[in-house]
Amino acid sequence: MSGAADVEYTGVRELRGPLVVVEGVSGVGWDEFATISVGPGERRHGLVLEVDRDLAVVQVLEDTAGMDRTRTRVAFSGAPLRVPVGTGWLGRVCDGRGEPADGGPPVLGDTDAAVGGAPINPVRREPPNEPVLTGVAAVDVLTTLVRGQKLPVFSAAGLPHLELAVQIAAQAACAGEPFAVVFAGMGLTHADAAFVRTALAGRSAARDLVLLVNTADDPVIERLLTPRIALTVAEHLAFAQGRHVLVVMTDMTAYAEALREVSAARGETPARRAYPGYLYSDLASLYERCGRIRGRPGSVTVLPVLTMPAGDITHPVPDLTGYITEGQIVLSAEAHAAGAYPPVDPLASLSRLMRRGAGAGRTRADHPDVAAQLIAALARSRQVRELADLIGRPALSPTDLRHLDLADVFRERFLAQGATENRSLDESLDRAWEVLLTLPRSQLGMLPARLLDARRPPSADGTDRAGTP
Amino acid sequence: MAAPADALEPVRAELLRAARAEAGAVLEGARADAEETLRVARATADRVLASARAAGAADGTAAAAGERIRAAEDAWTAELAARAAAYADLRAGVRSGVRRALAEDAPARDRLVAAARDLLGARARITDAPGGGVVAEVPGRRVDLSADALADRALERAGARAEHLWELP
Repeated sequence: MSGAADVEYTGVRELRGPLVVVEGVSGVGWDEFATISVGPGERRHGLVLEVDRDLAVVQVLEDTAGMDRTRTRVAFSGAPLRVPVGTGWLGRVCDGRGEPADGGPPVLGDTDAAVGGAPINPVRREPPNEPVLTGVAAVDVLTTLVRGQKLPVFSAAGLPHLELAVQIAAQAACAGEPFAVVFAGMGLTHADAAFVRTALAGRSAARDLVLLVNTADDPVIERLLTPRIALTVAEHLAFAQGRHVLVVMTDMTAYAEALREVSAARGETPARRAYPGYLYSDLASLYERCGRIRGRPGSVTVLPVLTMPAGDITHPVPDLTGYITEGQIVLSAEAHAAGAYPPVDPLASLSRLMRRGAGAGRTRADHPDVAAQLIAALARSRQVRELADLIGRPALSPTDLRHLDLADVFRERFLAQGATENRSLDESLDRAWEVLLTLPRSQLGMLPARLLDARRPPSADGTDRAGTP
Repeated sequence: MAAPADALEPVRAELLRAARAEAGAVLEGARADAEETLRVARATADRVLASARAAGAADGTAAAAGERIRAAEDAWTAELAARAAAYADLRAGVRSGVRRALAEDAPARDRLVAAARDLLGARARITDAPGGGVVAEVPGRRVDLSADALADRALERAGARAEHLWELP
């Protein structure tokens, strides 16, 4: 935001790639936001990457194409970027730095906030509880997303993580309470950006979506701002306006690569795989902005999506993300190859806060037991499959055979759903029961007898005797 | 001597009866089969019809929902374009208002010159900006206090107040 009068610096020493080197500056700090006058009526924006005595290096968000060194003027705002905040963002589609991309006026707000934000004071944190229902059975039943949680999606190139992120963004809801979604796309191809806009058109038209899209050919420094602007907007919608806000950020690997590029431009010492040594704390500065605040309504829930290069879960981005977040939803190439959508690997996925958001009064009384039993049965199914690979299917016991078949039933009846199918939690849980009841009662020891009796009375369970070894 | 009764007559009669009975049973079975086939076919047809109806209704609902979304999107796009036009008009209005105010208020120029010298020092070179206001420069630094720059900054500071342009009364 400009002050009453900004001093513009006209001593541009050099234009190099996306960088402008300005001389004769004083009192300029790192990460300060700059406004750059390029010619009559044309303004661009930038961030200070480096300051050395009276020299400042500014990275231009819109690139330096067409800029003339002698006519370029740079004004520093005296502070990192601030954006207006408020309900004016709802329904808007903007680029990665918050400028309108929908033909509308600039986004206006009564107040503004620094995009760098500040993580919530731990003392004032309220533990996450109550679910955010996504309409995706594998997420709602097995890795329930809880309001205020940070739950990443770990994927690999070629898997439909963007489709899943968009589906969750389009369908998520908080049981009739005020809700909004902020979708931050980073490094998206134009085709992916168009897909996101089209798939989220309904939510956008309903004015409960903020869409920020940084495309793959946008400057990398803008990619560093996109999730911060998204979180700043979300924090105000949540803690000042009382909404439950889901922030979907995709793809965090593209974000980390932008961070690496900027770090290299700053001449910093590279660490693991040339990412800067502060990658962990930088990611934490984003993820830790989720949560609930004591005495305030609303919540910020974060769903980052990241692709693991070559499917490597030990790659620095998923590795460090895993340290910070509260679980993960892992997509599996094997399930994808089997034609299942969403290809969630239930045994590698986990929501550490699920117990706080699932169960009586939150989702359904039988939910935690059903989820636990289903995971246990799937784990046994995987063991049996490995056993069958060794000794052959004919050597398996009848119970083992039931477990072997369970994986297929799970994939076909529970996991698979349409990319636009908003499945209710009741239906998802009923389907989970349907999968479980393919096993004999003796194998469902994690389910209380009264729940089993309600679903399949012992007298009606003719399959038990045959299936029990 | 009467002709001897045909000894095979009872056999023939019995064979005929059995054949008729069997034919009747076969006929009955065929009828039953036909009825069952017909019943199954009708049930299948009903089921196919019901599922086609359901699929058609689902397609129709999805298409209608898609149309509704597209219509809402078009309306929202048109509204945003109108808001952008209103905001551009406001900016033009504020600019011309500031230009007029500076033209009518001669001491204002002196205040702007003083402000510029405060920022850049007494040796700043002051030039009049086209449209009103001044621009001050020293080597390496510049301050734009032209009418348009002042108007634009004022509009930025107005923030959400500009939304009154499109808010319903």
